[in-house]
Amino acid sequence: MGTPSPAISTRALTKQYGSTTAVDGLSLSVPEGVTYGFLGPNGAGKTTTMRMLTGLVEPTDGDGFVAGTHCSERRQLVEKIGLLPEEPPLYSELTGREQLQFAADLRGVPWERVSDRALGLARELDLDGDLDRRIDGYSKGMRQKTAFVQAVQHDPDVVFLDEPTSGLDPRAARTLRELIVELTDDGTTVFLSTHILSVVEEIADRVGVLYDGQLVSEGSPAELTDDVDSDGDADLEEAFLELTDEPAAAW
Amino acid sequence: MRGETMAHVRDDLRHGWTLARTELRTQLRRLRSDRRRLFAAVAGVLGFSLFLAVSFVPGAITFGSEFRSTVPLGTAGVALWAVTMVVAYFGAANGFNQSQIGTVEPLARTSIPPRAVSLGRILTQTVQSAWIIVPIGALLLAGVAIGGGPAVAAVVLVAVLPLLAIGLVVGRAIGTLARYANERLQVSLWVKAILLLGLLGAIFLGTQVLLNSRYESDVQFAVGPIVPGTPLQSYAAVIFSPFGTTPGPLGVAVTGVVFVAIPVGVLGALRLETHVLVADLGRDAATAGRVEESYGVPRLFEIAPSARVAWRYLVRTRRDPRMLAHLTPLLFGAFGLAGSAFQDPGVLLTVGPGAAVVTGAVLAGSAYCLNPLGDDREQLPLLLTSARSVDVMLRGRMLAGVALGLVVAIGLGAPLALVEYGPGYVFGQSLLAVVLTAASVGIAVGLGAVAPKFERREYMNVERAHPSQWAMLGFFFGGMIVGGIGFLLLWLTLSGEYVLAVAFGWLLYVTVLGVASWGGYRYAVGRFDAFSLDDM
Repeated sequence: MGTPSPAISTRALTKQYGSTTAVDGLSLSVPEGVTYGFLGPNGAGKTTTMRMLTGLVEPTDGDGFVAGTHCSERRQLVEKIGLLPEEPPLYSELTGREQLQFAADLRGVPWERVSDRALGLARELDLDGDLDRRIDGYSKGMRQKTAFVQAVQHDPDVVFLDEPTSGLDPRAARTLRELIVELTDDGTTVFLSTHILSVVEEIADRVGVLYDGQLVSEGSPAELTDDVDSDGDADLEEAFLELTDEPAAAW
Repeated sequence: MRGETMAHVRDDLRHGWTLARTELRTQLRRLRSDRRRLFAAVAGVLGFSLFLAVSFVPGAITFGSEFRSTVPLGTAGVALWAVTMVVAYFGAANGFNQSQIGTVEPLARTSIPPRAVSLGRILTQTVQSAWIIVPIGALLLAGVAIGGGPAVAAVVLVAVLPLLAIGLVVGRAIGTLARYANERLQVSLWVKAILLLGLLGAIFLGTQVLLNSRYESDVQFAVGPIVPGTPLQSYAAVIFSPFGTTPGPLGVAVTGVVFVAIPVGVLGALRLETHVLVADLGRDAATAGRVEESYGVPRLFEIAPSARVAWRYLVRTRRDPRMLAHLTPLLFGAFGLAGSAFQDPGVLLTVGPGAAVVTGAVLAGSAYCLNPLGDDREQLPLLLTSARSVDVMLRGRMLAGVALGLVVAIGLGAPLALVEYGPGYVFGQSLLAVVLTAASVGIAVGLGAVAPKFERREYMNVERAHPSQWAMLGFFFGGMIVGGIGFLLLWLTLSGEYVLAVAFGWLLYVTVLGVASWGGYRYAVGRFDAFSLDDM
């Protein structure tokens, strides 16, 4: 029996904007059914990486594969992915329910096929009572919840989440973390970019730290903290700070 | 106390200037970094100047040359009035279109006094208006100088400058008041839209009816009685006194009012604008967050995913008519016909059906198809990572446009035609409406793919990525020409003459439209399927 192919893999993935290199020869591999915490300081290239992997921007060089599909093959790629970008992509004139139905229509998936899952997720996120309200009256947290449901309602193989807990109250943030764990338990791979290190520490199986467009460290949260402090006293925040400290990262 | 007030005024002026300078610098940099926009801006000013040169400079030369014999006070009065009105339009548009202060609003509103923010806004938009007004004014003044010499041009400039200031200030105050009323009225967006359109229509129709009545009274057309030129003629008599005119008491009074009105108007506009700024009325309070019933998709739109997508566009428009704000120029055409119909209801029955068909077809294409991806800028991550191809979304937009367009083209055009024409004509006209509407959406979506606009800008107090003005105007006028050809063919068909030639004409007409429409659609699909966020 061969080794299962990774859910996400990149080989020397590079993105340049003029003379600026946003992502510099990134090579990583994310196994199926795990939550991969993607960390890095502002401007490290996290969002650009996510955009390349979801086909939103084209790599300047290198390759990226998601669920076995090259990230430039958008037609095939979209069937396997779900995306929650930093700014929830919602139409403010629609109600939450109409938005979710619209997203299903775009995918050509009958609403009846995804409605149970979508409404179940909305219920768990305490959003079901607001689904018939127009989105322009939603709080930031409610928009975030709607966009999360939208990203996962069609049961994709790989979900990309950019700061998913942004704007959520502590209770909703906890529910969302639990939902992410449930997703991976069901075999979905979650690629999670966030600055909230405690979230990553709690739910990520593997963590990659990006600095200046390059992957400076990768492993389980425990491995990362051990790398910077073999006594095991350090937490992920300390590990992150040390890894992204300029001289250390340069080394 | 007085010294303290003066210090505040100085501070406000300084802050206002800083804000204006920052805004202008930002806009200039944005313009310089985007060659297409820079080219469009320069081409716009040059094109408009050329149009003016052809249309009005000969008149300006004649006006200047008349100073050699007698000072043309009558013409001067009307010209000064026209200049004031045109500038007042700029002022009103500036006062009305202010949903944001560029990119610095939150910082500006919390960092400097409100009066300074208003000052900054006024300065910024005055300089922006000058970008259009100054070249045109220079061109016209050059014409006056050619005709009458530099001295005449200099005095004309002296006469015009105070009126420019008044036009800008008064127009701005009117625009600000309109914006205040717009934001204050806690009624549905549709009621607001109808009120605004009613107001625009009343102004448009009123002017047209008045002018028509002058033409039709068989009296030699005279602008004087319609346009109150007399006070400004008297004003001109004062300013042009170095050339031998005799200032009268009315002229002295008007001149005094003009010069006093400038500072009073500036202070009034500033105060009004600051009040509106501080009042922070909360836009869209009338509709935001209101509980709605989610609309299910009707059976007619259940046939395909793209039809369901089309239904969502229609629902969104039903809830927020501002999605169609870019169509306002189309209304002016409709107002023109309405004005004629008001004077002669018979026009409604003879020209009305055809106008409804052409308007419906143009509406179909321009409602959702002239900027398909730009319009969805914020939702691009969803659109590009959800659908295997953008064709679902594009077809959705096209179907939504067809649904809207057919309501006007057939829903309005056919009943109107039934009153005046026979069933054969109505049938033919309805067929033509279907052909034109279907062709319109495909051509429009292709045009939208050639010139997608992603920058948000404000138009009719609505800030969104509106379609390219050039594409829109081209589409409107093109639609009229193509529609006109269709009706010519329809008339020839019903007349029973030139049968073979007419049949060939139809074949050519439908083929060209079909190829253009299908080609436009395929081009848009190809272009947008290869689209990435890098292309924005």
